[in-house]
Formats: sequence, structure tokens, C-alpha cells
Amino acid sequence: MHWRAVGHAYTDRKMAGKRAALKAIDWLAFAERVPPNQRAMFNNLKTRSDAIGAKLSSLPEKPVTIDWSFYKTNVARAGMVAEFESKFSALTIPEPKDTATAAINTQEAEANKAAVAYVEASKARIGQYEKELEKFQNMIPFDQMTIDDLNDTFPETKLDKEKHPYWPHKPIAEL
Amino acid sequence: DLLRLCLISKSACLPRLVQLSHLHTSPNSQAPVPALPEKGGKTRHGIIPEEIFQLLYPKTGVTGPYMLGAGLLTYILSKEIYIINHETFAAACMGTVIIYGVRKFGPDVAAFADKLNEEKVQKAQEVKDLAMTSLAQAVLDEKKEQWRAEGRQMLFDAKRNNVAMLLETNRRERVHMVTNEVKKRLDYQIALQTLHRRMEQEHMVNWVEKNVVTSITPQQEKTSIAKCITDLKVLAKVQQAKATV
Repeated sequence: MHWRAVGHAYTDRKMAGKRAALKAIDWLAFAERVPPNQRAMFNNLKTRSDAIGAKLSSLPEKPVTIDWSFYKTNVARAGMVAEFESKFSALTIPEPKDTATAAINTQEAEANKAAVAYVEASKARIGQYEKELEKFQNMIPFDQMTIDDLNDTFPETKLDKEKHPYWPHKPIAEL
Repeated sequence: DLLRLCLISKSACLPRLVQLSHLHTSPNSQAPVPALPEKGGKTRHGIIPEEIFQLLYPKTGVTGPYMLGAGLLTYILSKEIYIINHETFAAACMGTVIIYGVRKFGPDVAAFADKLNEEKVQKAQEVKDLAMTSLAQAVLDEKKEQWRAEGRQMLFDAKRNNVAMLLETNRRERVHMVTNEVKKRLDYQIALQTLHRRMEQEHMVNWVEKNVVTSITPQQEKTSIAKCITDLKVLAKVQQAKATV
């Protein structure tokens, strides 16, 4: 650990550099992208994030400095303060281990895959819709169609003359 | 007109609408099909097609077809190719009635049939419009959902932020805890020392007091009380003297 070699200045211990910087999150833009059926989850996330942030900001960044000289002059027991001071400055506080980020990253990878698949399917759907839209736009007007044209454009209107050989070529109930 | 449409089939060579897909599908020609005519062919006097008049106009002028007609009529009557009998009179009466009926009620019936047709077309048109708007809307919705999916990055950023914040909070708590504990122990020592000193002080004071009190002998006490009384008497005299003055 590099900060042991740096010296016993208390502040050096803080420059660990391993902590990831917090990314600024635009909650408004985020909120826009949330679909209405997931709004409750989003609200929960936001309240949790806000609570965590509030807790973080309530703790001061630097701890209370200990006035060693005062204790050294005033504490009677010999060597106690010196011992404390040496042990304290030699102390390294282990950083809490980050167990969750890996899980989040895997989640993100999966979500990316799923999103890409969804976008593909969505594009396929859009292609389908646009094809049908084109068909409607290129259609001849109804008052200039013949029955054959109608059957070509809307195949569901074609009368099945094999299944119902006699007029009206469809079940009476469907007239 | 819809009735007319029902009778038309693909094999009839009546003209049809121009559309890219609307071609003669026989292998002979790929020409676009002309549109359906709105009205039937023009006729003069309800029966005789206008084309005959146009055909004969260059040769015979305006009266030509009429002369042709009159001549033909005379021919078939005089040569008895058509014989006038009772059927003729029946035909004449029926013809009169039919023509009268058609001339009088024809337009109304035609309008009614047209209205029926119009309703059918309108219904189909509504279906078509609805389909088109819903398709356009569906395309927009899909695009919107794609845009929504693009924002998934923010969710994971938020999650990672939360994790980082929690870790930082934990770290700070640990640091604070260490300092506070050390400080507590040192403060305890200091407090212990001050307590000791105070107790020693108080004990010493008490001891000194006790000793002083016990060292006052009875003789000393008597003399001190006598001195007090004489002092008091002197003071009283002084007071009295002051009061009378």
C-alpha cells in the first residue's frame, strides 16, 4: 500500500485513488425515458439513491484530528500517548470491498444484449408496419376497384368457392 | 354501379384503372389499363348510339342517320319483313309505360343505388384510414420505445453510483470510528487523571479541616469564647454610643 511509505500525515491516507468517481446523473432525462409501467420502480430507485446520497453527505469527509501534543503533555501514564500515536499513524483502514459492481456489470451486459435484440425485433415490426402502410398508400381508390382487385388487395375478402360452392359462398351467418 | 362491378370479371376487356400493379396480366401486353368509365356510352333518343351519327356525318351530314332509319323502317314495313299485328300494339303500350316509368323514377332509383354504393365505399375508406393512422402511430410508438431502450445506460450508472456512495459511506464510517475510539480512550485517561486530582484535593482539605478542628483544645475554646463576648460587649457599647450621639 503506497500510503504507508508516504509518511504519517493523516491526510495522505485519503488519496487512495481506487474509488470510482461518482457520475452525475440527469434524473430528469432519465425520468423521460422511463415507460409508464416502470414508473414505480424508477421512483423507488430515485428515493433510494437520494437517501444514500443524503447519508453520504451527512458524514464529514475528514475525521476529527487528534491533538497529540495536548495529550502528550497531559496524560500521566508514560509512553501511552506515544504508543497510541505510533500505532494510530501506522494503522491502515481497509477499504470496503466492492462486491456489487461486478454483478451490475454483468446485468448491464445482459441488458444490452436484450435491448439490442428488442431493437432488432422492433425494427422488423416497423418494417412490417411500413410495408402495410405502403400497400394502403398505393392502393387504387375503392370506387375504381373491381371485385377481383378487392380480393387482390384484401385477401380476406376472397370468397372460397371450393368450400362453399353455392351462392353466397360463405356461411349465412357471415352475411 | 356496384351491381355493374359485380358482373365484370377479369376476362372482360372493359377498361380499368391505371396502376402500376393493374396491368393486363395476360402475357401479351404489359400496358397499363385505362380507367373505368363513369357513365355508359352516349346515345341519341335513348337507344341509338352516338357513334353511328358520328360515323355517317362526313358522308351524309346531320340528317343522314335519320334518313337511314326512316328508310329502313319503310323497307321492313312495306316488304312485310315486320308484320304489324296485335303484338305490336301490346309492345307499343308496354314500351310507353316502361319508358314513362324509367323517365320518371329512374333518377331517384339511381340516386338510391348510388347512395348504397357510396356508403359501402365510405365504410371501406374509413377502415383504410383507420388502418393507416394506426399503422403510422404504431411506427411512432416503436421508434419511441427504441429511444427509451437507448437510455438503459443511465440505470446502470445510477446503480453503480449507489454502490460507490455506499462504499464511500462505509469507508468514512470506519475512519470516523477509529479516530473516535482512540480519542475516547485518551479522553478517558485525561478524565481519570482529573478525577484523581480532585479527589486528592478534597480529601486533603477535609483532613486539614478535621485536624484543625480537633486541635482546638477546650482551654483555647474557653478563651476564644470569652474574647468573643468581650468583643461583642465593646461593640455594643460603641453602638450605643453611636446611637445616642
